[in-house]
Amino acid sequence: MRPDWLRRGLDYLSERLPVQKMSFESLVTKKVVPVHRMSWAYYMGGLALLFFLIQLVTGVFLLFYYQPTVSDAHASVEYITYYVNSGFLVRNLHTWSSSCMILCLMVHALTTFAMKAFARPREVTWLTGSMLLALTFAFGFTGYLLPWHQIAVNATKVVLQSIEEAGRYLPGALSGLPTYVKEIIQGEASVGQATLSRFYALHVVILPLLFFGVLGLHLLCVQLHGMSQGTDTPARRSEKFFPIFMLKDFWLWGVAFLVVFVLAYCLPFESFYPYPLFEPYDSLGSTPDGIKPEWYFYFIYYPLELLPFWVVMLGQTLGGAALFMTPWIFKNTSRKVLGIIATLVSAYLIVITIFGHDIYEMFKGGGA
Amino acid sequence: MFDLLIFVALPYVALLSLVVGSWVRYRTHAFSYSSLSTQFLEDRWLLWASAPWHAGIIVVLLGHLAAFAVPGWWTAFMATPAFLTVVESVGLLCGWMCLGGLVIFLVRRFVNARLQAVTTLADVLVVLVLMAQVGTGLAVAVNHRWGAAWAPGALGPYLHGVLTLRPDVSVLTDMPPFVKLHIASAWVLLAMFPFTRLVHVLSLPLRYITRAPQRVVWTSSRASVRFEERAATDNERRLFLRAALSAGAGVALLSMGTLDKFFKYFLKQDLTEDEQAHLLSAKLRRLKQTAEERELELERMSRDAILVAPMAELSTTRGKYFIDYQMRPALAFKDAEGLPIVISAKCTHLGCTVGQDVDAQGRILCPCHVSYFDIKTGQPNLGAPAKEALPRLGWALKDGNGKVLLVQDPSGGREGSAEPGQLATSLLYILKRYA
Repeated sequence: MRPDWLRRGLDYLSERLPVQKMSFESLVTKKVVPVHRMSWAYYMGGLALLFFLIQLVTGVFLLFYYQPTVSDAHASVEYITYYVNSGFLVRNLHTWSSSCMILCLMVHALTTFAMKAFARPREVTWLTGSMLLALTFAFGFTGYLLPWHQIAVNATKVVLQSIEEAGRYLPGALSGLPTYVKEIIQGEASVGQATLSRFYALHVVILPLLFFGVLGLHLLCVQLHGMSQGTDTPARRSEKFFPIFMLKDFWLWGVAFLVVFVLAYCLPFESFYPYPLFEPYDSLGSTPDGIKPEWYFYFIYYPLELLPFWVVMLGQTLGGAALFMTPWIFKNTSRKVLGIIATLVSAYLIVITIFGHDIYEMFKGGGA
Repeated sequence: MFDLLIFVALPYVALLSLVVGSWVRYRTHAFSYSSLSTQFLEDRWLLWASAPWHAGIIVVLLGHLAAFAVPGWWTAFMATPAFLTVVESVGLLCGWMCLGGLVIFLVRRFVNARLQAVTTLADVLVVLVLMAQVGTGLAVAVNHRWGAAWAPGALGPYLHGVLTLRPDVSVLTDMPPFVKLHIASAWVLLAMFPFTRLVHVLSLPLRYITRAPQRVVWTSSRASVRFEERAATDNERRLFLRAALSAGAGVALLSMGTLDKFFKYFLKQDLTEDEQAHLLSAKLRRLKQTAEERELELERMSRDAILVAPMAELSTTRGKYFIDYQMRPALAFKDAEGLPIVISAKCTHLGCTVGQDVDAQGRILCPCHVSYFDIKTGQPNLGAPAKEALPRLGWALKDGNGKVLLVQDPSGGREGSAEPGQLATSLLYILKRYA
């Protein structure tokens, strides 16, 4: 006789991971994709996967020449860019594709949210997806430091310092915790060789391993549950996953790859920044003007610049919690309301990412 | 003499046979223009023979045609190593597919009783000659590589001569035997053409592609349903094949454009000596810089006092950067009385390094989030992101003999004294005990 809680636990699990569905029939011959107004959203996850694969391959390529030491990191990146055959291409692909991957993931998260694809029994899919998003941001953050140029090191310093800042708002014994965390991440008194080695290990080994595991679970869930309906009334039409949807997906991959390839071939990602920021980091000089994180951190960076620190921290904590708790918080919310929330969030992200600097200038311009 | 027979007489006999024979056969036995398909008698082996053979031979023939029809463009394209490699590899692969298909064609003729009943000597002969043709072609491709590049120039004039009735065998005399055999068996094939099943090449059913699908009306509803189902499956299969083909073509095109670049990435880099020297000197510079930083670190571990600068080098308007005992940046200035001002340069907001230039109000700027710090007190301006003052550092002034003249602790308390005259020649130190 199984105890009641165990039985309920097992029921819960078997509904979320219906492994009995793992058959050729349900995964290949019977699998269908609904066709409706939001069908394009079904491609976003696959697209993000393509960019991840590009990251994987170009990342391994870069490992052939990159050297993770404070004296050689910048020089080796320069060597890749200017001396290795097609080295600029591999590096530009890596930077362009990283941004594309994050963009796709953001759109993917927002659309699955709006389509209520997180609802029972797909909670695990949403959770693993949120983890992948967090891991991708971690990839972005750790990878940003590796070239060891002015903007990379200084931006990393600022971010790590702002972790410490959180200590002020924590009570008593806890107030030392953020500093402790910061020192664990940083590995020494200031951002230096220890930090570089840590970020390198994270970016190249630990995060990818974690990513593979979570991605495997995520894809397994997607496969087991099939495509979510996405609309309130079941779509009238549907198309077969194999081969129709899959081929369309590959077609999109081809186009996306071509676009990123051409971008990488013609336009270094750095051309969006003023040049001196990419000089090797000088630990004895002053911090240069215009230190900024990558565009995909603007949504948290500009609020940090504009609002009191605790407001942003609180908002960030709540936002993060809401992201992970979405399947339970919005359990009974209608798709209409979800759509409105997703639109508002998108509007915020777009406005702050594109006009963040103008908004900053408006409020803080001229300074003192 | 033998060359003349094979490469001048035979071609004309073959061409004559091809044109006249095909014409006559079409006029007299139009319905015999057929491949005499044996699919009804045996279809399993046939798939593995027919599909690779036809796929391969179509590509190979189109390649030959393009090379001899537009030799100028063709050779221009082949001048690019990447194209040449792709064309040669695809050609070789198709050649092997043809040969494999032919072998299966031949084998199935001999192991299947039903087929033996309908097989004629001509059928076997056709396969054998085709095998010779493909075999010699492969032998040329393997033994005399890059035929796609050299063949149009070397053999084009001969073919052109034959077609314009001015045959010239001189270009062939020095050709390797495989090339000669390949050409000879080609003429034999053309000669056999109208007398064998090869004529089906001329009855390409291109109209099938565009004609309207045949509509079958069934009397029984069950049969109708079954038919609909089968039609749907067939349609899906067609769609899949078409899409797979375009996907394959897309991948091939992409690979042509990208793979050579990625391959080059792993080759040994060809750098000139200048470039190597430049790289090496840059690397050494970087290493020296790192070594200097490490020395600073060591110095801070082992010394009780560290020289910042001689007072004569300090200025009231532009700070001098140095590294404090915690390896953090700091700034040293001179005040109006000629005494040192020594403060941390690590912004109390988010840790950026504060700028060194003093503005009219005696302040320095942190560029990250625009905080102005008064250098005397270290206090940030009102409303600045930074809330705390930049800490002041304890320091000592020593004269040239190492005698301590004046010491100030971080809170500002002073010990000792210095004459104005001594100040200008003294040296500024930071002290471990205040670190």
